[in-house]
Amino acid sequence: MRVDFVRAVEKVLARDEEALFITGDLGFNALEGLVAKYGKRFINAGVAEQNMIGLAAGSALTGMRPWVYSIAPFVTYRCLEQIRNDVCLHQLPVRIVGNGGGYSYGIMGSTHHALEDLAVLKALPNMQLFFPCENDHVAAAVALMAELEGPSYLRLAVSAYTTSRAPLAEHPVTLTRAYATRADRSQPGVTVIGAGHAVQVALRALAAHGLDRQNADVFGIARFPFRLAEDTALLASVLETKNVVFVEEHYAAGGMGESMKLALPTLSAFSLMSASYRPDQRYGSAAFHMKQANLTPEALVALVQAQLGAA
Amino acid sequence: MSEAMQPAALARAALAIRRQFLRMHYHARSGHVGSGLSAIDILTYLYGAWLRPTDQFILSKGHGASSLYATLHHFGKLSDAELASYYQDDTLLPAHPAPRGVAAIAAATGSLGHGLPIAAGMAHSYKSLRGTQERVACLLSDGECNEGSTWEAALFAGHHRLDNLTVLVDANGIQGFGRTEDVLTLEPFAKKWSAFGFDVRECDGHDFGALHVALAGESFARPRCIIARTVKGKGVSFMENTVDWHYWPMNEAQYEQAVAELDQSESTLAP
Repeated sequence: MRVDFVRAVEKVLARDEEALFITGDLGFNALEGLVAKYGKRFINAGVAEQNMIGLAAGSALTGMRPWVYSIAPFVTYRCLEQIRNDVCLHQLPVRIVGNGGGYSYGIMGSTHHALEDLAVLKALPNMQLFFPCENDHVAAAVALMAELEGPSYLRLAVSAYTTSRAPLAEHPVTLTRAYATRADRSQPGVTVIGAGHAVQVALRALAAHGLDRQNADVFGIARFPFRLAEDTALLASVLETKNVVFVEEHYAAGGMGESMKLALPTLSAFSLMSASYRPDQRYGSAAFHMKQANLTPEALVALVQAQLGAA
Repeated sequence: MSEAMQPAALARAALAIRRQFLRMHYHARSGHVGSGLSAIDILTYLYGAWLRPTDQFILSKGHGASSLYATLHHFGKLSDAELASYYQDDTLLPAHPAPRGVAAIAAATGSLGHGLPIAAGMAHSYKSLRGTQERVACLLSDGECNEGSTWEAALFAGHHRLDNLTVLVDANGIQGFGRTEDVLTLEPFAKKWSAFGFDVRECDGHDFGALHVALAGESFARPRCIIARTVKGKGVSFMENTVDWHYWPMNEAQYEQAVAELDQSESTLAP
Protein backbone atom coordinates (compact mmCIF):
# COMPACT_ATOMS: atom_id res chain seq x y z
CA MET A 1 0.00 0.00 0.00
CA ARG A 2 2.95 2.31 0.64
CA VAL A 3 3.72 2.67 -3.07
CA ASP A 4 0.08 3.44 -3.77
CA PHE A 5 0.04 5.96 -0.97
CA VAL A 6 3.13 7.77 -2.22
CA ARG A 7 1.67 7.93 -5.72
CA ALA A 8 -1.61 9.31 -4.39
CA VAL A 9 -0.13 11.85 -2.00
CA GLU A 10 2.18 13.09 -4.75
CA LYS A 11 -0.94 14.07 -6.71
CA VAL A 12 -2.21 15.97 -3.68
CA LEU A 13 1.11 17.80 -3.29
CA ALA A 14 1.05 18.62 -6.99
CA ARG A 15 -2.39 20.20 -6.97
CA ASP A 16 -2.44 21.75 -3.48
CA GLU A 17 0.39 24.17 -2.83
CA GLU A 18 -0.58 24.34 0.83
CA ALA A 19 -0.11 20.62 1.30
CA LEU A 20 3.15 19.49 2.86
CA PHE A 21 4.69 16.19 3.81
CA ILE A 22 6.36 15.54 7.15
CA THR A 23 8.10 12.27 7.96
CA GLY A 24 9.45 11.00 11.24
CA ASP A 25 12.71 9.90 9.62
CA LEU A 26 11.01 7.02 7.78
CA GLY A 27 10.70 6.52 4.06
CA PHE A 28 13.92 4.95 2.85
CA ASN A 29 13.44 3.63 -0.68
CA ALA A 30 9.95 5.08 -0.85
CA LEU A 31 9.88 8.82 -0.34
CA GLU A 32 13.00 9.91 -2.23
CA GLY A 33 10.86 11.02 -5.17
CA LEU A 34 8.83 13.34 -2.97
CA VAL A 35 12.00 14.83 -1.48
CA ALA A 36 13.39 15.55 -4.93
CA LYS A 37 10.18 16.99 -6.30
CA TYR A 38 8.74 18.94 -3.39
CA GLY A 39 11.90 20.11 -1.58
CA LYS A 40 10.72 22.72 0.85
CA ARG A 41 7.32 21.06 1.29
CA PHE A 42 8.99 17.85 2.38
CA ILE A 43 10.24 17.95 5.96
CA ASN A 44 12.09 15.22 7.79
CA ALA A 45 11.24 16.11 11.39
CA GLY A 46 13.68 13.55 12.70
CA VAL A 47 12.96 10.86 15.25
CA ALA A 48 10.75 13.14 17.30
CA GLU A 49 7.10 12.23 16.95
CA GLN A 50 5.71 14.57 19.59
CA ASN A 51 7.31 17.58 17.95
CA MET A 52 6.31 16.28 14.52
CA ILE A 53 2.60 16.34 15.38
CA GLY A 54 2.91 19.65 17.22
CA LEU A 55 4.61 21.34 14.33
CA ALA A 56 2.09 19.86 11.91
CA ALA A 57 -0.61 21.49 14.02
CA GLY A 58 1.31 24.77 14.05
CA SER A 59 1.69 24.70 10.28
CA ALA A 60 -2.03 23.95 9.91
CA LEU A 61 -2.79 26.97 12.10
CA THR A 62 -1.07 29.06 9.42
CA GLY A 63 -3.26 27.51 6.70
CA MET A 64 -1.12 24.57 5.58
CA ARG A 65 -2.47 21.03 5.16
CA PRO A 66 0.21 18.61 6.39
CA TRP A 67 0.54 14.87 5.85
CA VAL A 68 2.50 13.27 8.68
CA TYR A 69 4.08 9.90 8.06
CA SER A 70 5.76 7.23 10.14
CA ILE A 71 5.35 3.62 11.22
CA ALA A 72 1.83 3.18 12.60
CA PRO A 73 2.70 2.60 16.28
CA PHE A 74 5.18 5.48 16.30
CA VAL A 75 2.87 8.08 14.76
CA THR A 76 -0.01 7.23 17.09
CA TYR A 77 1.03 6.18 20.60
CA ARG A 78 4.07 8.32 21.42
CA CYS A 79 2.32 11.47 20.30
CA LEU A 80 -1.25 10.64 21.26
CA GLU A 81 -1.62 13.72 23.42
CA GLN A 82 -0.35 15.94 20.61
CA ILE A 83 -2.90 14.33 18.29
CA ARG A 84 -5.63 14.89 20.85
CA ASN A 85 -4.79 18.41 22.01
CA ASP A 86 -2.96 20.06 19.15
CA VAL A 87 -4.78 18.47 16.20
CA CYS A 88 -8.20 17.12 17.21
CA LEU A 89 -9.25 19.75 19.73
CA HIS A 90 -8.29 22.45 17.23
CA GLN A 91 -10.11 20.59 14.39
CA LEU A 92 -7.08 20.98 12.13
CA PRO A 93 -6.59 19.35 8.71
CA VAL A 94 -3.63 17.21 9.74
CA ARG A 95 -3.52 13.89 7.88
CA ILE A 96 -1.68 11.23 9.89
CA VAL A 97 -0.38 8.21 8.01
CA GLY A 98 0.74 5.04 9.75
CA ASN A 99 2.50 2.36 7.76
CA GLY A 100 2.32 -1.23 8.96
CA GLY A 101 -1.13 -1.57 10.53
CA GLY A 102 -1.89 -4.76 12.46
CA TYR A 103 0.76 -7.49 12.22
CA SER A 104 2.28 -6.13 8.98
CA TYR A 105 5.70 -5.74 10.58
CA GLY A 106 5.58 -9.33 11.92
CA ILE A 107 9.14 -10.38 12.71
CA MET A 108 10.14 -6.81 13.59
CA GLY A 109 8.53 -7.54 16.94
CA SER A 110 5.69 -6.31 19.09
CA THR A 111 6.96 -2.73 19.34
CA HIS A 112 6.29 -2.44 15.61
CA HIS A 113 2.84 -4.02 15.58
CA ALA A 114 -0.17 -1.68 15.57
CA LEU A 115 -3.08 -3.48 17.19
CA GLU A 116 -4.61 -0.63 19.19
CA ASP A 117 -4.16 2.31 16.79
CA LEU A 118 -7.77 2.46 15.65
CA ALA A 119 -8.98 2.01 19.23
CA VAL A 120 -7.10 4.97 20.63
CA LEU A 121 -7.75 7.23 17.66
CA LYS A 122 -11.45 6.46 17.25
CA ALA A 123 -12.10 7.93 20.69
CA LEU A 124 -10.68 11.31 19.71
CA PRO A 125 -13.07 14.10 18.79
CA ASN A 126 -13.24 15.09 15.10
CA MET A 127 -10.93 12.25 14.05
CA GLN A 128 -11.76 10.26 10.92
CA LEU A 129 -10.12 6.91 10.28
CA PHE A 130 -9.34 5.34 6.90
CA PHE A 131 -8.14 1.74 6.58
CA PRO A 132 -8.02 0.60 2.96
CA CYS A 133 -8.74 -3.02 2.12
CA GLU A 134 -6.22 -3.44 -0.70
CA ASN A 135 -3.51 -1.54 -2.54
CA ASP A 136 -5.94 -0.26 -5.16
CA HIS A 137 -8.15 1.13 -2.39
CA VAL A 138 -5.56 3.60 -1.07
CA ALA A 139 -5.89 6.36 -3.67
CA ALA A 140 -9.61 6.82 -2.96
CA ALA A 141 -8.91 7.16 0.76
CA VAL A 142 -6.13 9.70 0.15
CA ALA A 143 -8.40 11.70 -2.16
CA LEU A 144 -11.13 11.85 0.50
CA MET A 145 -8.67 12.77 3.25
CA ALA A 146 -7.27 15.58 1.12
CA GLU A 147 -10.69 17.22 1.10
CA LEU A 148 -11.29 17.05 4.86
CA GLU A 149 -11.17 20.20 6.94
CA GLY A 150 -10.45 18.23 10.10
CA PRO A 151 -8.07 15.50 11.31
CA SER A 152 -7.73 12.06 9.78
CA TYR A 153 -5.66 8.90 10.04
CA LEU A 154 -4.70 6.49 7.27
CA ARG A 155 -3.75 2.95 8.21
CA LEU A 156 -1.53 1.33 5.60
CA ALA A 157 -0.83 -2.37 5.85
CA VAL A 158 0.43 -5.48 4.14
CA SER A 159 -1.78 -8.52 4.61
CA ALA A 160 -0.27 -11.91 5.31
CA TYR A 161 -2.88 -13.21 2.86
CA THR A 162 -2.14 -10.95 -0.06
CA THR A 163 -5.09 -11.82 -2.20
CA SER A 164 -6.25 -9.26 -4.67
CA ARG A 165 -9.81 -9.56 -5.85
CA ALA A 166 -11.80 -7.16 -7.94
CA PRO A 167 -14.68 -5.83 -5.86
CA LEU A 168 -18.22 -6.12 -7.16
CA ALA A 169 -18.83 -2.56 -6.05
CA GLU A 170 -17.19 0.24 -4.10
CA HIS A 171 -19.10 3.07 -2.43
CA PRO A 172 -17.55 6.44 -3.36
CA VAL A 173 -18.02 7.97 0.07
CA THR A 174 -18.00 5.16 2.62
CA LEU A 175 -15.38 3.32 0.54
CA THR A 176 -17.10 0.06 1.54
CA ARG A 177 -16.40 -2.70 -0.95
CA ALA A 178 -18.72 -5.60 -1.78
CA TYR A 179 -16.64 -8.66 -2.73
CA ALA A 180 -19.10 -11.53 -2.88
CA THR A 181 -22.84 -12.10 -2.91
CA ARG A 182 -24.43 -15.19 -1.43
CA ALA A 183 -25.89 -17.70 -3.86
CA ASP A 184 -29.28 -18.43 -2.31
CA ARG A 185 -31.12 -15.61 -0.61
CA SER A 186 -33.95 -17.92 0.38
CA GLN A 187 -31.59 -19.84 2.66
CA PRO A 188 -29.89 -18.69 5.86
CA GLY A 189 -26.86 -16.60 5.06
CA VAL A 190 -23.93 -14.88 6.73
CA THR A 191 -22.56 -11.37 6.25
CA VAL A 192 -18.77 -11.40 6.49
CA ILE A 193 -17.31 -7.96 7.16
CA GLY A 194 -13.58 -7.33 7.09
CA ALA A 195 -12.10 -4.12 8.49
CA GLY A 196 -9.47 -2.79 6.11
CA HIS A 197 -6.79 -5.21 5.00
CA ALA A 198 -8.20 -7.90 7.32
CA VAL A 199 -10.81 -8.47 4.61
CA GLN A 200 -8.03 -10.25 2.75
CA VAL A 201 -8.51 -13.18 5.13
CA ALA A 202 -11.98 -13.46 3.62
CA LEU A 203 -10.70 -12.91 0.09
CA ARG A 204 -8.26 -15.79 0.54
CA ALA A 205 -11.08 -17.86 2.01
CA LEU A 206 -13.15 -17.07 -1.07
CA ALA A 207 -10.34 -17.92 -3.48
CA ALA A 208 -8.92 -21.02 -1.89
CA HIS A 209 -10.79 -22.29 1.15
CA GLY A 210 -14.39 -22.75 0.13
CA LEU A 211 -15.98 -19.60 1.52
CA ASP A 212 -17.60 -19.16 -1.90
CA ARG A 213 -19.50 -22.40 -1.33
CA GLN A 214 -21.06 -21.01 1.87
CA ASN A 215 -24.00 -18.68 1.67
CA ALA A 216 -21.98 -15.59 2.52
CA ASP A 217 -21.96 -11.95 1.50
CA VAL A 218 -18.47 -10.44 1.88
CA PHE A 219 -17.81 -6.74 2.49
CA GLY A 220 -14.70 -4.76 3.27
CA ILE A 221 -15.13 -1.56 5.24
CA ALA A 222 -12.54 1.20 5.25
CA ARG A 223 -13.84 4.17 7.17
CA PHE A 224 -14.80 5.24 10.70
CA PRO A 225 -17.09 6.79 11.88
CA PHE A 226 -19.24 4.33 9.95
CA ARG A 227 -21.78 5.76 7.52
CA LEU A 228 -24.21 2.87 7.56
CA ALA A 229 -27.12 4.95 6.31
CA GLU A 230 -25.18 5.36 3.07
CA ASP A 231 -23.90 1.79 3.09
CA THR A 232 -27.20 0.45 1.82
CA ALA A 233 -25.89 -2.82 0.38
CA LEU A 234 -24.08 -3.73 3.58
CA LEU A 235 -27.06 -2.78 5.71
CA ALA A 236 -29.49 -4.72 3.49
CA SER A 237 -27.32 -7.83 3.76
CA VAL A 238 -27.14 -7.60 7.53
CA LEU A 239 -30.89 -7.04 7.82
CA GLU A 240 -31.49 -10.17 5.75
CA THR A 241 -28.94 -12.51 7.31
CA LYS A 242 -29.00 -11.13 10.85
CA ASN A 243 -25.80 -13.11 11.07
CA VAL A 244 -22.40 -11.40 11.00
CA VAL A 245 -18.81 -12.52 11.17
CA PHE A 246 -16.43 -9.59 11.60
CA VAL A 247 -12.70 -9.85 10.92
CA GLU A 248 -10.13 -7.31 12.08
CA GLU A 249 -6.36 -7.23 12.44
CA HIS A 250 -6.57 -5.33 15.70
CA TYR A 251 -7.34 -6.17 19.32
CA ALA A 252 -11.03 -6.72 20.04
CA ALA A 253 -11.14 -4.10 22.80
CA GLY A 254 -11.81 -0.79 21.11
CA GLY A 255 -11.65 -2.26 17.65
CA MET A 256 -13.93 -1.72 14.69
CA GLY A 257 -15.86 -4.93 15.41
CA GLU A 258 -16.98 -3.70 18.78
CA SER A 259 -18.20 -0.45 17.25
CA MET A 260 -19.89 -2.27 14.38
CA LYS A 261 -21.80 -4.54 16.73
CA LEU A 262 -23.17 -1.47 18.49
CA ALA A 263 -24.03 0.26 15.21
CA LEU A 264 -25.89 -2.63 13.61
CA PRO A 265 -29.52 -3.54 14.26
CA THR A 266 -30.25 -6.52 16.51
CA LEU A 267 -28.74 -9.69 15.11
CA SER A 268 -29.13 -13.42 15.70
CA ALA A 269 -25.39 -13.87 15.82
CA PHE A 270 -22.26 -11.69 15.76
CA SER A 271 -18.82 -13.27 15.87
CA LEU A 272 -15.59 -11.40 16.06
CA MET A 273 -12.23 -12.57 14.78
CA SER A 274 -9.56 -10.29 16.24
CA ALA A 275 -5.88 -10.13 17.04
CA SER A 276 -4.89 -11.38 20.46
CA TYR A 277 -2.16 -10.71 22.96
CA ARG A 278 -0.11 -13.79 23.83
CA PRO A 279 1.77 -13.87 27.13
CA ASP A 280 4.19 -16.47 25.73
CA GLN A 281 5.33 -14.10 23.02
CA ARG A 282 7.04 -15.64 20.03
CA TYR A 283 7.70 -13.76 16.85
CA GLY A 284 7.51 -14.47 13.17
CA SER A 285 6.08 -13.29 9.90
CA ALA A 286 2.71 -11.58 9.71
CA ALA A 287 1.31 -14.94 8.62
CA PHE A 288 2.79 -16.54 11.75
CA HIS A 289 1.04 -14.00 13.97
CA MET A 290 -2.21 -14.34 12.09
CA LYS A 291 -2.12 -18.09 12.63
CA GLN A 292 -1.35 -17.65 16.33
CA ALA A 293 -4.33 -15.33 16.63
CA ASN A 294 -6.48 -17.79 14.66
CA LEU A 295 -7.03 -15.09 12.03
CA THR A 296 -6.91 -17.54 9.14
CA PRO A 297 -9.07 -18.26 6.11
CA GLU A 298 -9.69 -21.77 7.44
CA ALA A 299 -10.86 -20.45 10.79
CA LEU A 300 -13.15 -17.99 9.02
CA VAL A 301 -14.74 -20.71 6.90
CA ALA A 302 -15.23 -22.89 9.99
CA LEU A 303 -16.85 -20.01 11.86
CA VAL A 304 -19.17 -19.23 8.96
CA GLN A 305 -20.17 -22.89 8.71
CA ALA A 306 -20.79 -23.07 12.45
CA GLN A 307 -22.90 -19.95 12.40
CA LEU A 308 -24.92 -21.19 9.43
CA GLY A 309 -25.37 -24.55 11.12
CA ALA A 310 -26.73 -22.86 14.20
CA ALA A 311 -29.06 -20.61 12.21
CA MET B 1 11.02 52.71 21.82
CA SER B 2 8.10 54.82 20.71
CA GLU B 3 6.19 57.11 23.08
CA ALA B 4 3.70 54.48 24.19
CA MET B 5 6.39 51.88 24.73
CA GLN B 6 8.43 53.68 27.38
CA PRO B 7 9.22 51.64 30.48
CA ALA B 8 7.16 53.95 32.69
CA ALA B 9 4.06 53.45 30.57
CA LEU B 10 4.64 49.71 30.51
CA ALA B 11 5.00 49.70 34.30
CA ARG B 12 1.64 51.45 34.63
CA ALA B 13 0.07 48.97 32.22
CA ALA B 14 1.53 46.02 34.13
CA LEU B 15 0.17 47.40 37.36
CA ALA B 16 -3.31 47.76 35.87
CA ILE B 17 -3.08 44.20 34.52
CA ARG B 18 -2.01 42.90 37.94
CA ARG B 19 -5.02 44.62 39.53
CA GLN B 20 -7.36 43.11 36.98
CA PHE B 21 -5.69 39.72 37.36
CA LEU B 22 -6.06 39.71 41.16
CA ARG B 23 -9.70 40.84 40.87
CA MET B 24 -10.41 37.96 38.47
CA HIS B 25 -8.79 35.39 40.75
CA TYR B 26 -10.40 36.74 43.89
CA HIS B 27 -13.91 36.68 42.41
CA ALA B 28 -13.40 33.31 40.74
CA ARG B 29 -11.64 31.82 43.78
CA SER B 30 -9.14 30.37 41.34
CA GLY B 31 -5.52 29.30 41.76
CA HIS B 32 -2.35 29.71 39.67
CA VAL B 33 -1.96 33.23 41.05
CA GLY B 34 1.79 33.05 41.53
CA SER B 35 2.42 31.71 38.00
CA GLY B 36 0.45 34.55 36.45
CA LEU B 37 2.15 37.26 38.48
CA SER B 38 5.56 36.03 37.36
CA ALA B 39 4.54 36.30 33.68
CA ILE B 40 2.62 39.59 33.62
CA ASP B 41 5.59 41.87 32.96
CA ILE B 42 6.73 39.67 30.07
CA LEU B 43 3.22 39.63 28.62
CA THR B 44 2.89 43.37 29.07
CA TYR B 45 6.10 43.94 27.18
CA LEU B 46 5.11 41.58 24.37
CA TYR B 47 1.64 43.04 23.86
CA GLY B 48 2.58 46.62 24.71
CA ALA B 49 5.80 46.94 22.78
CA TRP B 50 6.82 43.96 20.69
CA LEU B 51 4.07 41.99 18.94
CA ARG B 52 2.94 43.38 15.59
CA PRO B 53 -0.68 42.85 14.50
CA THR B 54 0.07 39.75 12.40
CA ASP B 55 2.59 38.21 14.82
CA GLN B 56 1.56 35.14 16.78
CA PHE B 57 1.92 34.42 20.46
CA ILE B 58 1.65 30.96 22.02
CA LEU B 59 1.32 30.68 25.79
CA SER B 60 2.93 27.31 26.29
CA LYS B 61 2.63 27.64 30.07
CA GLY B 62 -1.13 27.33 29.78
CA HIS B 63 -1.63 27.64 33.54
CA GLY B 64 -0.79 31.31 33.08
CA ALA B 65 -3.97 31.78 31.02
CA SER B 66 -5.59 34.28 33.38
CA SER B 67 -2.56 36.59 33.11
CA LEU B 68 -2.89 36.39 29.33
CA TYR B 69 -6.62 37.12 29.52
CA ALA B 70 -5.99 40.18 31.71
CA THR B 71 -3.26 41.35 29.33
CA LEU B 72 -5.38 40.84 26.21
CA HIS B 73 -8.21 42.74 27.89
CA HIS B 74 -5.92 45.61 28.80
CA PHE B 75 -4.80 45.93 25.19
CA GLY B 76 -8.34 45.74 23.81
CA LYS B 77 -8.24 42.19 22.47
CA LEU B 78 -10.85 40.80 24.88
CA SER B 79 -14.12 42.50 25.74
CA ASP B 80 -15.34 43.34 29.26
CA ALA B 81 -18.05 40.71 28.88
CA GLU B 82 -15.61 38.06 27.78
CA LEU B 83 -13.30 38.82 30.67
CA ALA B 84 -16.19 38.79 33.16
CA SER B 85 -16.95 35.22 32.14
CA TYR B 86 -13.50 33.98 33.23
CA TYR B 87 -13.73 30.67 35.16
CA GLN B 88 -17.55 30.78 35.10
CA ASP B 89 -19.87 28.19 33.58
CA ASP B 90 -20.30 28.61 29.81
CA THR B 91 -17.10 30.64 29.43
CA LEU B 92 -14.57 30.61 26.60
CA LEU B 93 -11.93 31.54 29.18
CA PRO B 94 -11.25 28.51 31.36
CA ALA B 95 -8.21 28.11 33.60
CA HIS B 96 -6.13 27.00 30.60
CA PRO B 97 -6.62 28.47 27.10
CA ALA B 98 -9.34 26.77 25.06
CA PRO B 99 -9.07 25.65 21.43
CA ARG B 100 -10.80 27.93 18.93
CA GLY B 101 -12.25 29.91 21.82
CA VAL B 102 -11.35 33.56 21.22
CA ALA B 103 -9.64 35.01 18.17
CA ALA B 104 -6.73 36.45 20.15
CA ILE B 105 -5.58 33.01 21.33
CA ALA B 106 -4.18 30.78 18.59
CA ALA B 107 -3.73 27.52 20.45
CA ALA B 108 -5.06 25.65 23.44
CA THR B 109 -2.39 24.72 25.96
CA GLY B 110 -2.33 23.40 29.48
CA SER B 111 -0.50 20.14 29.09
CA LEU B 112 3.11 21.25 29.28
CA GLY B 113 5.52 20.80 26.41
CA HIS B 114 2.99 21.42 23.61
CA GLY B 115 3.47 25.11 22.89
CA LEU B 116 6.97 25.16 21.45
CA PRO B 117 6.33 22.45 18.82
CA ILE B 118 3.24 24.38 17.68
CA ALA B 119 5.13 27.68 17.65
CA ALA B 120 8.02 26.10 15.74
CA GLY B 121 5.58 24.72 13.17
CA MET B 122 4.01 28.15 12.72
CA ALA B 123 7.39 29.86 12.46
CA HIS B 124 8.64 27.30 9.95
CA SER B 125 5.53 27.67 7.81
CA TYR B 126 5.70 31.45 7.77
CA LYS B 127 9.40 31.57 7.01
CA SER B 128 10.00 28.61 4.72
CA LEU B 129 6.67 27.70 3.15
CA ARG B 130 4.51 30.82 3.01
CA GLY B 131 7.35 33.32 2.76
CA THR B 132 5.59 35.85 4.99
CA GLN B 133 6.93 38.14 7.68
CA GLU B 134 5.05 37.03 10.79
CA ARG B 135 7.08 36.47 13.93
CA VAL B 136 6.13 33.92 16.57
CA ALA B 137 6.75 34.28 20.28
CA CYS B 138 6.28 31.44 22.72
CA LEU B 139 6.30 31.71 26.51
CA LEU B 140 7.44 28.64 28.42
CA SER B 141 7.64 27.96 32.12
CA ASP B 142 10.96 26.68 33.37
CA GLY B 143 9.16 23.60 34.70
CA GLU B 144 8.04 22.62 31.24
CA CYS B 145 11.65 22.46 30.16
CA ASN B 146 11.50 19.06 31.89
CA GLU B 147 9.41 17.91 28.91
CA GLY B 148 11.23 16.10 26.11
CA SER B 149 8.91 17.57 23.49
CA THR B 150 10.20 21.06 24.36
CA TRP B 151 13.71 19.96 23.42
CA GLU B 152 12.52 18.12 20.31
CA ALA B 153 11.10 21.44 19.15
CA ALA B 154 14.27 23.27 20.16
CA LEU B 155 16.29 20.89 17.96
CA PHE B 156 13.91 21.55 15.07
CA ALA B 157 13.98 25.34 15.52
CA GLY B 158 17.77 25.38 15.73
CA HIS B 159 18.21 23.11 12.74
CA HIS B 160 15.86 25.16 10.56
CA ARG B 161 17.36 28.44 11.80
CA LEU B 162 13.95 29.85 12.65
CA ASP B 163 14.98 33.44 13.22
CA ASN B 164 11.32 34.44 13.28
CA LEU B 165 10.82 32.42 16.48
CA THR B 166 11.38 33.91 19.93
CA VAL B 167 11.18 31.66 22.97
CA LEU B 168 10.79 33.31 26.33
CA VAL B 169 11.20 31.27 29.47
CA ASP B 170 9.46 32.57 32.56
CA ALA B 171 12.25 31.30 34.78
CA ASN B 172 10.81 31.76 38.26
CA GLY B 173 12.67 28.74 39.60
CA ILE B 174 9.59 27.03 41.01
CA GLN B 175 7.57 24.20 39.52
CA GLY B 176 4.59 22.13 40.61
CA PHE B 177 6.00 20.45 43.66
CA GLY B 178 9.34 22.05 44.34
CA ARG B 179 12.16 24.26 43.15
CA THR B 180 13.47 23.51 39.68
CA GLU B 181 17.02 23.18 41.03
CA ASP B 182 15.81 20.47 43.43
CA VAL B 183 13.43 18.64 41.08
CA LEU B 184 15.42 18.45 37.83
CA THR B 185 18.08 21.07 37.60
CA LEU B 186 18.11 23.00 34.33
CA GLU B 187 21.45 24.71 34.79
CA PRO B 188 23.50 25.52 32.87
CA PHE B 189 20.24 26.62 31.28
CA ALA B 190 21.56 29.26 28.87
CA LYS B 191 24.21 26.83 27.62
CA LYS B 192 21.55 24.23 26.90
CA TRP B 193 19.58 26.58 24.65
CA SER B 194 22.76 27.85 23.08
CA ALA B 195 23.87 24.28 22.33
CA PHE B 196 20.53 23.73 20.55
CA GLY B 197 21.32 26.61 18.19
CA PHE B 198 19.56 29.52 19.87
CA ASP B 199 20.76 33.07 20.33
CA VAL B 200 20.37 33.20 24.10
CA ARG B 201 19.91 36.27 26.23
CA GLU B 202 19.24 36.39 29.94
CA CYS B 203 17.50 39.27 31.63
CA ASP B 204 15.42 40.38 34.58
CA GLY B 205 11.90 39.44 33.47
CA HIS B 206 10.39 42.29 35.48
CA ASP B 207 12.62 45.03 34.02
CA PHE B 208 11.12 46.52 30.85
CA GLY B 209 14.39 48.11 29.81
CA ALA B 210 16.13 44.75 30.12
CA LEU B 211 13.33 42.98 28.22
CA HIS B 212 13.62 45.61 25.50
CA VAL B 213 17.33 45.01 25.12
CA ALA B 214 16.88 41.23 25.17
CA LEU B 215 14.20 41.33 22.47
CA ALA B 216 15.99 43.89 20.28
CA GLY B 217 18.51 43.38 17.51
CA GLU B 218 19.36 40.56 15.18
CA SER B 219 19.84 36.89 15.97
CA PHE B 220 21.64 36.20 12.69
CA ALA B 221 19.69 33.27 11.33
CA ARG B 222 19.05 31.68 14.73
CA PRO B 223 15.95 31.39 16.84
CA ARG B 224 16.18 33.44 20.00
CA CYS B 225 15.73 32.31 23.58
CA ILE B 226 15.26 34.83 26.34
CA ILE B 227 15.67 33.41 29.79
CA ALA B 228 13.63 35.90 31.77
CA ARG B 229 14.59 35.56 35.41
CA THR B 230 11.40 36.17 37.32
CA VAL B 231 9.89 35.93 40.77
CA LYS B 232 6.87 33.69 41.17
CA GLY B 233 4.10 35.78 42.74
CA LYS B 234 5.88 39.04 41.75
CA GLY B 235 4.33 42.17 43.20
CA VAL B 236 2.58 40.66 46.22
CA SER B 237 5.05 40.14 49.06
CA PHE B 238 3.46 37.13 50.72
CA MET B 239 3.04 35.32 47.42
CA GLU B 240 6.57 35.87 46.19
CA ASN B 241 8.82 32.88 45.71
CA THR B 242 6.55 30.22 47.18
CA VAL B 243 5.19 26.95 45.82
CA ASP B 244 1.94 27.51 47.78
CA TRP B 245 0.68 30.33 45.56
CA HIS B 246 0.79 28.06 42.54
CA TYR B 247 -2.33 26.57 44.08
CA TRP B 248 -4.23 28.70 46.64
CA PRO B 249 -7.06 31.05 45.87
CA MET B 250 -7.14 34.30 47.86
CA ASN B 251 -9.42 34.98 50.80
CA GLU B 252 -10.76 38.49 51.39
CA ALA B 253 -7.97 39.59 53.71
CA GLN B 254 -5.30 38.30 51.36
CA TYR B 255 -6.92 40.04 48.42
CA GLU B 256 -7.14 43.33 50.27
CA GLN B 257 -3.53 43.11 51.32
CA ALA B 258 -2.46 42.26 47.76
CA VAL B 259 -4.35 45.27 46.39
CA ALA B 260 -2.88 47.49 49.09
CA GLU B 261 0.59 46.41 48.02
CA LEU B 262 -0.19 47.29 44.41
CA ASP B 263 -1.43 50.70 45.60
CA GLN B 264 1.88 51.13 47.38
CA SER B 265 3.77 50.20 44.20
CA GLU B 266 1.73 52.68 42.22
CA SER B 267 2.71 55.53 44.53
CA THR B 268 6.34 54.88 43.64
CA LEU B 269 5.81 54.98 39.87
CA ALA B 270 6.98 57.96 37.91
CA PRO B 271 4.00 60.23 37.09
